[in-house]
Amino acid sequence: MIQVVVTQMLNGAIVGALYGIVALGVTLTFCITGVVNFALGAFMVLGAYFTWWCHEVAGIPYIPSVFLAVLAVSVLGYLADAGLFRFTRNHLVNGLLVSIGLISIVEASVLLIWTATPKNLSYVLPGVIRVAGISVSQIKLVISAALVAVVAATYVGLTRTWFGRSAFAYAQNPEAAMLMGVNTARLETMVFVYSTSLAALGGGLYASLYSIEPSLGGFYILKGVEAAILAGVGEVLGSLAGGVILGISENVGSIYLPSALRDAYGLVFLILILLLKPAGLFGGKK
Amino acid sequence: MKTAIFAVALAAAAPAVTHSDSILTICIYAFLMGALAVSFNFIFGLTGQLSLFHAAAFGLSAYVSVLLVTRLHWGFWISLILAVLAAVIVAAAVATLCFRFKLREFYFAIVTMALSEILRLWIQNWYELTNGTLGISFVQKPEIWTPYGYITVSSSTSWYFVSLTILVAVSALCWRLQQSWVGRAFSAIRLNEQLAETMGIDVFAYKFLNFVLGSALAGLVGVFYAFYTGFVEPDYLSVTQSLDIVAMVLLGGVNSVAGPILGAFILTALPHVIDMGAEVRVILYGVVLIVVILALPKGLRSLVGRERHAT
Repeated sequence: MIQVVVTQMLNGAIVGALYGIVALGVTLTFCITGVVNFALGAFMVLGAYFTWWCHEVAGIPYIPSVFLAVLAVSVLGYLADAGLFRFTRNHLVNGLLVSIGLISIVEASVLLIWTATPKNLSYVLPGVIRVAGISVSQIKLVISAALVAVVAATYVGLTRTWFGRSAFAYAQNPEAAMLMGVNTARLETMVFVYSTSLAALGGGLYASLYSIEPSLGGFYILKGVEAAILAGVGEVLGSLAGGVILGISENVGSIYLPSALRDAYGLVFLILILLLKPAGLFGGKK
Repeated sequence: MKTAIFAVALAAAAPAVTHSDSILTICIYAFLMGALAVSFNFIFGLTGQLSLFHAAAFGLSAYVSVLLVTRLHWGFWISLILAVLAAVIVAAAVATLCFRFKLREFYFAIVTMALSEILRLWIQNWYELTNGTLGISFVQKPEIWTPYGYITVSSSTSWYFVSLTILVAVSALCWRLQQSWVGRAFSAIRLNEQLAETMGIDVFAYKFLNFVLGSALAGLVGVFYAFYTGFVEPDYLSVTQSLDIVAMVLLGGVNSVAGPILGAFILTALPHVIDMGAEVRVILYGVVLIVVILALPKGLRSLVGRERHAT
């Protein structure tokens, strides 16, 4: 029994790290542009499909495929920001609707081009590691490490560089940041594009673990928003932790409780957090 | 007012002109969706609460009425009343939770979304009762009294008049309330909650009333929608459905009664009028949504006529 629990915790942590990378994008975009970008789900789908296409159809090795996919999606993210989201800054409802429109367009286009049949990447890194009767596939470990590294790098980038600090300053007080010489328009665009590339990276890594289908974006963006709120909006490292907590609670919860309701556990958790500690698990004063 | 009466008269005369079943079908869907959009705008447009619980109220009532009619073989009208009552009770619980804890804006939207997802998952997984994701198909239709005796509402023409009646009734109620002192209290809350409280408006009571009434109207529409299509499925309660309603309202224009109806007509009729593949329709839907939001932030309503209501 203990092995089942530990295995489920590990699985939960890996899925949770994927939630976390989307949550990081949600948190960053929300703090800087004031919009909850549901379209990150769409960018994640594109990242997954581009990776799949580069690897399986064009025959490029896996790691360069992921990089190419992230690059391509970043360009799309830039275009989406310049053409659409630039006009919805700090307008929650309009931003929400534009991102919903974008999800519809992307999801339907993916369906048109690649059909609804789930796509599988051939094994990138086969093999499992066994420790004390618990087996984990190597690829899952590598990917979790990569996700943790990206979140940590983002944290370092935000706290140690001038640009990162200007982002924090902007989130606290836009006018004051502007007066201190922060190019706010460029900052907003860069954060937006960075968030889309994070989502694309999540999608590209996801493609090596599970089969991909167009509807995965809608699922992951909801989990990402949940994880971001759970952790507290604006928490960089917290968003990863929030994702992992969500993933583990879903997987461990489904051992003891009906697994059909697994999506509901995170939601109950989310409601309790919002009612009792609206700043989130890791958030300080609001 | 004159325009509204004229529009209703025109709509009532339409079946005399056209006998095309497909046109009537589009109109029935548009009327029902229009009533749903008006009831959503009653919450969002007046008190400014972005409720993502609207589809849940719609779907919950649909399920309750369908289960009562198909499983217990109760009559349509008693089921309708109980179904709306169910929506009232659940909405009252949601409103108490959200407004007692003073959830605002984004947090209110997220909590209502989470609650509606929990409700959907619960219905979806109560397989013995609800048949899960497959939904329930049924043949029962409501019976109504007319001067010519009781008739079963089953033909397109009869559904056309029933749905038109619902749209007019819901719109008239919402319009009347919007014009009254209750409506002004709602608007005051939207514009400045603290100030409204200072002026002696019981913010909790008005928000509660507004949310419960709007959700009850959504439930009413849900029952008729389910009996028109003869089918219910858990997707009636999905977040996507709620967001579709938001899209209709914003497309048409918030804060008027005509706006949401206009938006509902466009988004409902658009996929039917243009004959093409399902994916292309969805793409077009997304494009229309984005263009309208960015180009006409006040909705299509702002193109036609001036706004009478100052708020």
